[in-house]
Amino acid sequence: MLPEKSTEASLLPERFDPTSRPPLQKGGDQALDGVLDRLTGGALERPDRPDAWVTAVRRLPARAAQFGPEVSGIDERLRAVLRDRGIGQLYSHQSLAIEHALARRNVVVTTPTASGKTLCYNAPVLSSVLRDPSTRALYLFPTKALAQDQLAELHELSDQLSRRSELEIGVFTYDGDTPQDARRAIRGRAHVVLSNPDMVHSGILPHHPRWAKLFENLQYIVIDELHAYRGVFGSHLTNVLRRLRRICRHYGSTPRFICSSATIANPRELAEALVEEPFELVEESGAPRGEKWFLLVNPPVVNEQLGIRRSYLAETRRVAAEFLKRKLQLIVFAQSRLATEILTTYLKDDFEGPPGTRDQIRGYRGGYLPQRRREIEKGLREGSVRAVVSTSALELGIDIGALDACVMAGYPGTIAATWQRAGRAGRRTGRSAAVLVASSAPLDQFVVRNPSYFFDAPPEHALINPDNLHILVDHVKCAAFELPFTTSEQYGRVDVQDVLGVLEENGFLHRTVGEGGEDGIWQWTNESYPADAVSLRSVSSDNFVVVDTTEGADVIGETSFTSGPSTLHEKAIYLVEGVLFQVERLDFEGRKAYVRRIDCDYFTDAITYTKVKILDTFASNDGGVRLKPDTTSVSDVHDESRVVSGFSRTASHGEVHVSSRVVGFKKIKFYTNENVGSGELDLPEQQMHTTAYWLSVPRDVMVALPFASDDRRDGVVGLSFAMRQVAQLLLMCDRQDIGISLGNDDQGERVDLVRMGEPVTLSDEPRIFIYDNYPGGIGFSEPLFAMDDELRRRTQELIAGCACEHGCPTCVGPIGNTGPLAKTVALRILDLLAAGAGESQA
Amino acid sequence: MSSLADRLRGIVSPGAGSRPELHATAAPAILSGDAAADLLGGEWRSARNHRYLVVDRSYTPGHRHGEVSIADGLPPAEGWPQLSLLGGSSTGRDLLFVDLETTGLAGGAGTYAFLVGCAWFEGGRFRVRQFFLSSFAAERALLEEVSEVAGRAATVVTYNGKTFDLPLIETRYTVNRVHTPFAEMPHIDMLHPARRLWRRQEETSRDDEVLASGCRLGTLEQVLLGFEREGDVPGFEIPARYFRYVHSGDARPLGAVLEHNRLDLLSLAMLTARAAQLLDEGAAGAATAREAFGLGRVYERAGMTAAAAACFSRAADMGPTVRAEALRASAALLRRARRYEEAAEAWRRLLEVPACPPGIVREATEALAVHHEHRLRNLLLARSFALRSLQVDGGATRRYAAEHRLARLDRKLADAPRSGGPLF
Repeated sequence: MLPEKSTEASLLPERFDPTSRPPLQKGGDQALDGVLDRLTGGALERPDRPDAWVTAVRRLPARAAQFGPEVSGIDERLRAVLRDRGIGQLYSHQSLAIEHALARRNVVVTTPTASGKTLCYNAPVLSSVLRDPSTRALYLFPTKALAQDQLAELHELSDQLSRRSELEIGVFTYDGDTPQDARRAIRGRAHVVLSNPDMVHSGILPHHPRWAKLFENLQYIVIDELHAYRGVFGSHLTNVLRRLRRICRHYGSTPRFICSSATIANPRELAEALVEEPFELVEESGAPRGEKWFLLVNPPVVNEQLGIRRSYLAETRRVAAEFLKRKLQLIVFAQSRLATEILTTYLKDDFEGPPGTRDQIRGYRGGYLPQRRREIEKGLREGSVRAVVSTSALELGIDIGALDACVMAGYPGTIAATWQRAGRAGRRTGRSAAVLVASSAPLDQFVVRNPSYFFDAPPEHALINPDNLHILVDHVKCAAFELPFTTSEQYGRVDVQDVLGVLEENGFLHRTVGEGGEDGIWQWTNESYPADAVSLRSVSSDNFVVVDTTEGADVIGETSFTSGPSTLHEKAIYLVEGVLFQVERLDFEGRKAYVRRIDCDYFTDAITYTKVKILDTFASNDGGVRLKPDTTSVSDVHDESRVVSGFSRTASHGEVHVSSRVVGFKKIKFYTNENVGSGELDLPEQQMHTTAYWLSVPRDVMVALPFASDDRRDGVVGLSFAMRQVAQLLLMCDRQDIGISLGNDDQGERVDLVRMGEPVTLSDEPRIFIYDNYPGGIGFSEPLFAMDDELRRRTQELIAGCACEHGCPTCVGPIGNTGPLAKTVALRILDLLAAGAGESQA
Repeated sequence: MSSLADRLRGIVSPGAGSRPELHATAAPAILSGDAAADLLGGEWRSARNHRYLVVDRSYTPGHRHGEVSIADGLPPAEGWPQLSLLGGSSTGRDLLFVDLETTGLAGGAGTYAFLVGCAWFEGGRFRVRQFFLSSFAAERALLEEVSEVAGRAATVVTYNGKTFDLPLIETRYTVNRVHTPFAEMPHIDMLHPARRLWRRQEETSRDDEVLASGCRLGTLEQVLLGFEREGDVPGFEIPARYFRYVHSGDARPLGAVLEHNRLDLLSLAMLTARAAQLLDEGAAGAATAREAFGLGRVYERAGMTAAAAACFSRAADMGPTVRAEALRASAALLRRARRYEEAAEAWRRLLEVPACPPGIVREATEALAVHHEHRLRNLLLARSFALRSLQVDGGATRRYAAEHRLARLDRKLADAPRSGGPLF
């Protein structure tokens, strides 16, 4: 059981406890004012200045609590317990959400961090259990850690309730860490099961008969952090929920859903897409909020000609130091594991002081072992950790208390994620601050130079594609194992009977003809346990473990299968909280990397080689005239080479084969970012089928370019660099969700957009591929194809509007990588494409 | 073929051609459903609009199973009450032997028991009734009849049923929303007593390896019953044979599977009978030293100290195979019973066993050192045993304890230099 303070903090996360936090509130406010003064030069109230160091300052005023009406359905005993805990009145969003849930309507609540959202689901669930002790509820969290975090709070509530009601309310987590011998007891005794989608998928659904009691009485399913289920993970979750509801139907229950989400543009849409049922939306938070300042910082240009800005990591370090100097508690978010480690090292160096000082600044990321993570979280809550540098790992609702300030090194990629991270700083009363430091990436530059885009535009939409055939087939297998399909049963939006037919051809199923007018059934006829072969998080359920052989053999971290080759190749530098290790051997088959501590002044960055091949074209547009093929015969629009005349068919989307391989790495010096060496690597290739959007640059356009062939190539490379950034903005997706590649004809290949020893030669009709970085595609290519015009127009604006002379990381990529004429040529290509489209339309 | 189906084929079996193998749709007569009854020697049973196959066999008292016959295993009129030592509340009467053949070992809702083999003694014969799931739709009706059979019995007996057969069939009952008859029945899982009684010394004691090693039913029936199987189906092949039947209707390869199941039931019943007879006869009935020793462990667990001691002592006398282990068990038992002199005698005899395992030597010397130091107060003898225990390599902690004891003994000896025996 956690100490009293932290459980309170998770229920009422912003209740300020002056005894445990070193800076008294008043002093904290003054210190924060000091930092704001220093960063803005005293000018807090002023218009946006896109070219200044601080491009925008916004003050989000404090807001008083909004209370809602009494909810009559809440059990009297629960009401009494809440009163004892100092909750006399519910905030408006809480009472609305509880009302919906008790009336058995699905509800999704979007509220900022720390607004008491847990009560929105705990109150209806516990009330229902008190009223009818056979009631069961299932809570799903995206991570095990979040479930553990919630367990402590629920225990506290249920213990207090047990004392008043003589009813022992069982609350248990059930995940991969649950000991085998405890599992039977949990199945029998749990009223509320806290788990994650992965465990439901592989541990609960395939064994549903053991959980009959739960499924017969399942009243509520709670899905916390709904926004985390985007893309692949979301598509998997929809299928897990389809299976879950199928099992519930079998046992005769109809659970209702209570979901909570961070602020995204389409919470209701997302909930409805994930659960496939109608939802009520509650989005006005009634929780009080202290005053918060939000600053956008753009590192100054140090080389006008090359468009080079001061390193955003160095800038982040500077801003973070201002807060640290004034003893304000701080979280710094970095974009990658590597950046996290680098910033941790910088800040530790800056605050080298009496022994122990270094330990007040910690790094935090996925791949650290759980014990280390719990220790850091505790340190943050108790105040012994003054600053933490984290990846997105701390973005979700892990309880770390409320901090004074948040500094983001680089734009997190989406508006929703930015607010979520900024929400880590902020108290119920008193001031807090969030600072976004832009990198030179185009998306970052766009955001800091157009503050109203960030502050005033709606946050992004979360997209999922649950009917991705790869994902669907895997889950149909699991569902068929769990309960035979009938010959008239529906599942998802594709015809599941077709899927079942193909599975039968391959011996997975057998179709039995029904007798006496009954439906037939599809029986599972395979020895395997299909859920074991499906991981909800990535293509492969494998991961690499990192073994430190400096003294003995300690496991010090882990890495997903997909990022293993690029971060754990031989001679790679692997960092853990600023300590450097060098990979001595990568056992690819055994999924182990053996590392040894090393003292050096550089880190490594892998070079990946990617090749794309077109398998099937779903649709192409012909200079503005869109040819939409009949969806039942997609293979008809296949022959891409039959270009009749002019600039026809410039953009397409369809199915592609992507293979990628890590071919080498660069050594990059700390602080100066100088390239101090490189090496070649020979690692196994990774392959997938996915969907892609591609732009073909017609032969006539290439021929019409009055430049040498090297410069023409540079122009295409530069254009693809810029298009990728704009695509990311238009799709509002994470950087790793899409990949790009350049190609000749129907083959795309790419050397990380960096010229390796030999130059990439392009044919006279090159293509730029933007592909969904997941097998089977995750639904980005089609929308991107639909936005083709906007994609090219915005790319043109981005390149033309950039102040650099010959290209920079903000538009077509750094000049060292793309050549001196890249910018000019890229613009020229876009102009010609636009003119061609105009001509063919005319 | 629709393009969706083609894309699905690419996903389900990448690399395979787009033209799938087609299954025989019009089955020849031998493959038609009716033929299965003749082929497998059973009768169709219809219930709830579905039919399944019931195969009955009856074994006469003269039927030989290896070196034993059914008559050797028939329970007496009052049953085998002593079996309660093995399975909690069993009365030892109306035993139902159960063994399943399944579509896999993984468990979970998609693993089926396609053959439920039941057997019992009745009217001086051994009766086997097998329920064969010829079509999945009949599962509920089949299970309901299994419930009837189980309802007439008082105790269920299995081999490894605790972890495999019973949870699996209980899952089938739950899926079909039928109350399981096995939940409240006393259950004897013969795997555990068999391990205690008959596991050989060299065999591992790790649970998951036991089935793969010598405590498999197949090995025990060879060693104890002298039964050799001919043309038996290897276990791993069984699901595939059933799936082939499901897809094609060809029941021929299943004849051997049903026979395999019947032989398992016969062996299980004969082993149970052997265990029951042993428990009845006590130490005198043990055929080998190992069996005597194992029987002692069973009595010991049941709290029957005198019977256990007799078994251990007989085991030690019967030959060298388990002498060290038997004496050690004996000594521990006697010490717990506060019969210290007899315990010390057992420990001393242990030290005379040639090639005694070092761990046991250390245990014996330590016990004797304690006995002489604290009970007999013979410090010199205690010291010599302590010295001897130090010679056995037993890791740092053990070594530290032994050195500690030695130092204390030396101190005591220095305080009373002339005393070899009790001071008072």
